[in-house]
Amino acid sequence: MLLISLLYLVSLSLDTVTYQHSLQDTVELHAIDVYAAPLEKFSHGQTLQTIDSRDLADFQGQAFAEVLQQRTGLFLRQYGPGMLASLTMRGTSAGHNAVFWNGLPVNSPSLGQADFSIIPVGGFDQATIHYGSAGALYGTDAIGGAVHLNSRNQFNQGHQTRINTTLGSFGRWNQLVAYEFSNKNFSTRTRAYRNYTKNNFKFNNLARAGSPEERQRHAAVEQFGAMQDLAWNLSKKQQLSTSIWYNFTDRQIQPVMGSNDRDQQLDRNFRAVVDYNQFSSNLIWNIKSGVVLDEIDFNGSLSQTAQYLLSTDVDWTVSEKLQSKSGIRHNHVRGNLSSYQATDDRTEFYQAINIRPISDLAISINLRQMLYDGTLAPFTPSAGADWTFRKGEYNKISTHTTISRSFKIPTLNDRFWVPGGNPDIEPEKSVSSEIGLKQELEKDGFQLKNQINLYSMWVDNWIIWLPRGSFWSPENIREVRNQGIEYFGSASKTYGNVKVSLSATYNYTLATILNSISSNDRSQGNQLPLTPKHKAQGNIRIAYQATEAMINGHWVGERYVNTDNISAVAPYGLLDLGISHKLKLFSMVNTSIGFQVNNLTNSNYQVLRLRAMPGRNYQININVNL
Amino acid sequence: MRNFRLLGYLLALSLFIYSCDSSRDETPLGEFERGLLIINEGNFSSRDGDVSHYNFTTGEVQQNIFEQVNSRPFAGVLQDLVPHNDFFYLVSNTGKVEIVNKNTFQSVGSVEGSEENPELIQPRSLIVADNKLYISDHGPYDSNWQLNDSYIAVVDNLSGGQVSKRIPTSSSPEKLYKINNDILIACRAARTIDVLPIGGDEVERSVEVVGTPASFIELDGKLLLFARTSTAIYFHEINRTNYNISNTTEIAIQNATPRIALAENGEAYIVSSSGYPDYFDMISKISITSGQIIDSEFYQGRRMYGIGYDAVEKRIYVSDDNGLQGSGTAIVLDQNGEQVKTIPTGVAPSGFYFRR
Repeated sequence: MLLISLLYLVSLSLDTVTYQHSLQDTVELHAIDVYAAPLEKFSHGQTLQTIDSRDLADFQGQAFAEVLQQRTGLFLRQYGPGMLASLTMRGTSAGHNAVFWNGLPVNSPSLGQADFSIIPVGGFDQATIHYGSAGALYGTDAIGGAVHLNSRNQFNQGHQTRINTTLGSFGRWNQLVAYEFSNKNFSTRTRAYRNYTKNNFKFNNLARAGSPEERQRHAAVEQFGAMQDLAWNLSKKQQLSTSIWYNFTDRQIQPVMGSNDRDQQLDRNFRAVVDYNQFSSNLIWNIKSGVVLDEIDFNGSLSQTAQYLLSTDVDWTVSEKLQSKSGIRHNHVRGNLSSYQATDDRTEFYQAINIRPISDLAISINLRQMLYDGTLAPFTPSAGADWTFRKGEYNKISTHTTISRSFKIPTLNDRFWVPGGNPDIEPEKSVSSEIGLKQELEKDGFQLKNQINLYSMWVDNWIIWLPRGSFWSPENIREVRNQGIEYFGSASKTYGNVKVSLSATYNYTLATILNSISSNDRSQGNQLPLTPKHKAQGNIRIAYQATEAMINGHWVGERYVNTDNISAVAPYGLLDLGISHKLKLFSMVNTSIGFQVNNLTNSNYQVLRLRAMPGRNYQININVNL
Repeated sequence: MRNFRLLGYLLALSLFIYSCDSSRDETPLGEFERGLLIINEGNFSSRDGDVSHYNFTTGEVQQNIFEQVNSRPFAGVLQDLVPHNDFFYLVSNTGKVEIVNKNTFQSVGSVEGSEENPELIQPRSLIVADNKLYISDHGPYDSNWQLNDSYIAVVDNLSGGQVSKRIPTSSSPEKLYKINNDILIACRAARTIDVLPIGGDEVERSVEVVGTPASFIELDGKLLLFARTSTAIYFHEINRTNYNISNTTEIAIQNATPRIALAENGEAYIVSSSGYPDYFDMISKISITSGQIIDSEFYQGRRMYGIGYDAVEKRIYVSDDNGLQGSGTAIVLDQNGEQVKTIPTGVAPSGFYFRR
């Protein structure tokens, strides 16, 4: 365990929103934690944000999409509450971000993207967002960024039981029961949940004459699942851990306004991962094996995909100034869809190097080469650096920069869909650069952090499905330039028993179409559709002893409906208010009870055109820990 | 919600003030009384169908005129635009018919029903007979994606309301034609002309035809049914008394689409597709009267989704839907197939209605 302690770098703080691109300090391992390779280790020059655990707690059992939409500067294209939600990062498309669960890539290989509406909060312990191009670190899809969802298991915790209940408007009832036991060398944790919402909220039906107020029908969502985490310290130098997750979602697909559609979608997702880690004085050797099985049943039509992953890498601390990680990853992919069957083998070689020539400068260099189906994906290098150029007793100012290439290999549907799949389609590719400035101040219980990033990215070979006669076919047709600003700010101050924390984010995103797809296409120079130029979000928390109050707001600018930029969905802002109180019952039972009002101003809004969203609604969270 | 209502009141108030504005009350013509109406079908997933208006005199184009006038989106897939007296019937195949004033596009009613009890499922076209609306509706898909519950929906009020009865038809009814005391229904999948007596409760008979029926054409006093197969197009002459096919003109055009524009002297322009692998669309100029192809390659382009003929300037209007990536374009051709100009349209322009 001692060795692990020495090697474990930077623990992610769960108490506050943290933006980790900063210089990593060797800190003592929380000797109780099951080892997980730290995500930020070879990410110098880039920005990682860990979602606040309190934010996750506010959303128990709800879709992770809601957390991202309401508590970050990222924008999700939501087709209704609980309905398909795809993430856009830095003005890229839905499939242009890589999503990992405990290190397994979980973007659907057939669709090329993840649906953040069926990932429930409770299905993971920690979420980290990697802003910006990270193909060299993570492989395919990470053009706009990456999202990591991880379990966080511990040793030496004894017996613990947790019951989380959320009740809310529109028939919401989310229930989670978890039990864990761990001693010095063994840890087990079992979780089971069921989340349900009838989603029968009122809305103004714009598709009907007079826009009458109606109740949403056919939008109920039922989800249940179970997780099992296990970890063993096999010896002082060896650790084995595994996580298994089954998630089932049964959704009535909320029809677009003006539609009588009655679509039903069942999603079954099974994920399992095994990690073996061996530690020596300056090496960590990891072997990871995993399986990701996804099944979508849309009105009885089945799409099944399977990914079998095996990877190994060696993380070598050569000296204080030099660290290296070399690895190989193989992913065998199978698709069994209504129109085709296909397999794909993806092999990747990667090398990461950290150089720290002086204590205030850290450089990461990443290289990756993927082979898929016998084809070479674009070679992806990246280089980034963090430089702390001013360090005072309380204040620290640093700058960072990165330049990187990324790529997205065509999805199985792009290549094999019958009819129209294009076996010759090429990977999408990007070149991205960014620069940022970060300030941190900590003095007498006052904390202040500000960070601003500027980025510029060029994406080519962007795949678009175009109608070709009686069917559609994908082509490498679009070229897009994404430029933008990201701002993150946080401040906190403690006055005796009172702690006040503030956080704010703002994203400015210019996603400009650079080319025309035909002589009559008028999209050149326009903003990509469904991509807001502005998104701002802010959060204030006030904690007094065992009571905490929270107010959260986010505002999203207009989103164009089409590439012509003629019609747009109106900007909207939402305000949420919550209060929670912790109390101890019978000296053994820790409980907390919370009450939340969402969409306080009863804003009538749509995220996407004609997709109804709920007005003011209420929710009660009750958590019991034994 | 309250804010929204308030906004609605304010909007209504502003419209009222606008309509009371004395400087405006001298406009004798409705805004859209003259000009070209472009039917933009819209994307099925985003329900962004609407109508564009082109002013022949000023060259000005207005997009989304339904939404502009009524302050709400059309929110449908615009399948057909049918004129009758003072009204346009905007048929959305997503399950509704919106009825607007022909000259102002102001909403006057609809056929839609409620969310739990929709009046229409997949309406395709409409005709007025005996002061009632007869709406062809594909009905729901069955478990094998077949249309076996197609029907004609009858609405007793010309400005919309509820469906008073549904009359089963052969599979997938499309265009309708009123003749004598009957309505003829072109049924696509069944390849029949169904005969429905006006006021009747069931289809009296079905006349089988060669090819997939597309539309009815009146030419030189004859009533024709335009139908097509993958190798030829057909103009079936319908006997005006017993509705049997009395004569058929066959023209060998490969992969013809249902998109046809009738010109003068029995001539017509028809869109066909080259098929795999190029998928270039072609306009052929034909003579229905002589059954001959006049020019097999009158104009070539990609994805020509609609076609129309302007008899005043003798020009052919073709629409390019831009691969359904954003809005499309109307291409105006002269008699030689040369491009005269282009007009920006809405999403998936599929047809033209000339108001000269």
